[in-house]
Amino acid sequence: MLNRFGLVLVVLFVLIAILADIISPHDPWDRFEPYEKPNRNHILGTNDIGNDILSELIHGSRASLIVGIGAAIIATLLGLLVGLFSGYFKGALDEIFMGITDIFLMIPRIPLIIMLAAFLKSSIWLIMLALGLLWWTSTARVVRSRTLQVREMDYVASAKCLGFKNRHIIFSDILPNIFPVVVPKFMLTVATAMISEASLSFLGLGDPSMKSWGLMINFALIKGGLVNEMWWWYLSPGLCIILFVYSIVSLGFSFEERKKVNLR
Amino acid sequence: MLLSKKKALRYLIALFIIFTLNFIIPRTMPGDPITNLLGENFIASEATIQELKIELGLDKSLSFQYLDYWKDIFTLHLGYSYHFNQKVISIIFMRMKWTLALLFPSILLGAILGTLLGALSGWKKNNLGNKATTWAFLAVYSSPPYFLGIIFLYVFSFKWGLFPFKGFYETGTFLDVLQHLFLPILIMSTFAASRNYMIMRGSVLIEKEKLYVVYARAKGLYGNSILFRHIFKNASLPVITLIALDFGFLLSGALFVEIVFSMNGMGTLIYEALLSRDYPVLQGCFLIITIMVIAANFFADILYSFIDPRVKEKA
Amino acid sequence: MDLLVIENLKVTFQTPPEQVRAVDGVTLELKQAETLALVGETGCGKSTIALSILRLLPENADVRGKIIYRNNDLLLLPEKELAQLRGKDISLVMQNPALALNPVYSIGHQMTEPLIVHRRLKKPKAIQTAKNLLEKLHFKGPSNAIRAYPFEMSGGMKQRVLIGISVVLSPKIIIADEPTKGLDDRLREMVLKELRLVREMNRSSMIFISHDLNAAREISDRIAVMYAGEILESAATQEFFKEPLHPYSQALLESLPERGFKPIPGVSPSMIQPPRGCKFHPRCPDKKEMCSKQRPDFKRTKNRDVKCVLYS
Repeated sequence: MLNRFGLVLVVLFVLIAILADIISPHDPWDRFEPYEKPNRNHILGTNDIGNDILSELIHGSRASLIVGIGAAIIATLLGLLVGLFSGYFKGALDEIFMGITDIFLMIPRIPLIIMLAAFLKSSIWLIMLALGLLWWTSTARVVRSRTLQVREMDYVASAKCLGFKNRHIIFSDILPNIFPVVVPKFMLTVATAMISEASLSFLGLGDPSMKSWGLMINFALIKGGLVNEMWWWYLSPGLCIILFVYSIVSLGFSFEERKKVNLR
Repeated sequence: MLLSKKKALRYLIALFIIFTLNFIIPRTMPGDPITNLLGENFIASEATIQELKIELGLDKSLSFQYLDYWKDIFTLHLGYSYHFNQKVISIIFMRMKWTLALLFPSILLGAILGTLLGALSGWKKNNLGNKATTWAFLAVYSSPPYFLGIIFLYVFSFKWGLFPFKGFYETGTFLDVLQHLFLPILIMSTFAASRNYMIMRGSVLIEKEKLYVVYARAKGLYGNSILFRHIFKNASLPVITLIALDFGFLLSGALFVEIVFSMNGMGTLIYEALLSRDYPVLQGCFLIITIMVIAANFFADILYSFIDPRVKEKA
Repeated sequence: MDLLVIENLKVTFQTPPEQVRAVDGVTLELKQAETLALVGETGCGKSTIALSILRLLPENADVRGKIIYRNNDLLLLPEKELAQLRGKDISLVMQNPALALNPVYSIGHQMTEPLIVHRRLKKPKAIQTAKNLLEKLHFKGPSNAIRAYPFEMSGGMKQRVLIGISVVLSPKIIIADEPTKGLDDRLREMVLKELRLVREMNRSSMIFISHDLNAAREISDRIAVMYAGEILESAATQEFFKEPLHPYSQALLESLPERGFKPIPGVSPSMIQPPRGCKFHPRCPDKKEMCSKQRPDFKRTKNRDVKCVLYS
């Protein structure tokens, strides 16, 4: 039941992000009366410069989802490659790759991104890239240990005997067996990336030209949303983050738990 | 030997590479190197700048600068902040204790709470109470900690006035400090607990299918004693790995929670440094945090080898 | 007097979409100080019987029938009361010692556990007891063995440790589930010697489960031959080896190396859809027409029980 709920929500959020232009009641950059309470015309009120908060929220899903999913795709691909090659070829290559992984694991990632963002002009693409390039390590470890198991299986050995090329074996024999561990890992990476993006935006390191949910919270706080008790302003983007992350994480965990039962 | 040579070597290499990164970043980033090294609060005449360039060694070749950089690190010279008008290292040392006061109790409480509840959740039948606990922890797992901070601050301090709204500085009795730290620690330990809970739960779900559990029952063990006498130790191994891996993530979370509660720790320091583009402070914080993360990993490795006898043998 | 009586035991594993009938109506008695060998091919349900006596089967197992021990039906006893019998009255030597021992606890810890759980002994005393026991079992360097972890021991050592653990509380019944599986000849002899020793220590009864007929011959007083979840013949061990009655028993003995290594024709029957009539009839050299129609009942002939139309 938990995962069906999660699946429906994830699909819903993705649809909202794709169809933002059609479903949002206003243009998020249009200005109306500022600081309006929720009313018929503006269901979640307006912000300090009069933007409709609901429309901002709907369009904000784009930036948030792009960063979260984009970073997770980069991280998963990197982790998959490193883990696959490490586990398949073993030996010196494995030592080097796992050494690099261990080193990356120890980099304080968010402080590093803060430092980079302080020097560079921040954009969602930069944040996405930085998160993706720093978050592949645990995927690589998981993929590697699974590859080590799979490569010992009979059909892989027979594929080797038949003289198939390594590349062929890795991508058509081993890869399909790795998906069950990669899929939940991917979902958890989306979650971490989104939480990180929201946190970075909270420091004002977000991309003002493409407002994400995290940046909306940041604006609501500096522009007095909390002190003026305009809870609909800062609470709604926060709840959107929690809800989306919750649904994707619950999908990931239920996937993992089911997989364990099947593998038993 | 507590740690294998290979592991120790990796720690050293990690330290070396991350510190080198810290050297490279300000020197390759766009913008004036003087500004990148001294911060935007530094405004001086052309003559002073020339003097400083010599003092900072910017007239020397990069390799010389690099050697100087390491010399500075070993002598704890992390530069000077023109924004705070203080040596970076002394600012950080002053602020660090509050971050640690928030972080360590949270990690400890989060580990105890998360592993215990997670273990019971994986062990017991999946009834409603069990499911509700998992949902609740999953919700915390999915929340950015600073956002929880905002909500707690609003409800407990702003609305109900139970806890102080503003942050605190170094004056104050122990009780005063405790009152200020209560909400931040509550949030961070629940957040840490939620991550440990999910891993421990999954780990127990795997472990309880193993044959040694059947054998424990055959020996006459019954109910929770099977969990605590046999499964718990095995299942906690992945959690120890996780606590080490998570340390950096939790630390970052703590930094943001500090900002929400205006605590006078490293998080607020980074925030202030960021707003005034005080690069030396940012870099100094990055170095100190790196050392903390590596130390945490080192500690977790040692703890792991105490719990899992198989590791000690290999080392 | 019978110490343990199993009456019409039926165990079905629900593995949707199928039902595996692992034990199909087994009746057995175990007498005081008697060793009963349960033999048959791998997968015929021997181990399932062992685990159902202690109710250690997974949750998808449906267990019916009666298992009477001291006027109690073990299948009806509350879990807590049964837990008090496990290890203390009835102990189990599991197969696969590498997985049965907990990897992160020392041998000493795992050996003393029954003493601490059932008798509430203090740790030092329990360790001393365990050490004495290992000495009686001729362990080399019992103190080292106590301190060792499972991963530091060979498979044979681990098996011997399990035998040691089974006897720490002087149980009335020891169930040894394939204790010689995977061991070489020397270790096999050692394990059999040890089992005899622990049996003698408290005059315990023993259920010896094995596919190794020679081991069963060496150690048991009585033997029961299982096939596809059923017992086909049960007899005193001496007489059985002199003259097996059931065609399956005969075939089994002829498959032994010293009697010509003649394999039994055909394949083991499906436990999901067993053959109609006598389950052995598709492989039986002496089958009659009625064998495929009607399942034979136990008949008492020549001082033993046989399930075959030839003897009715």
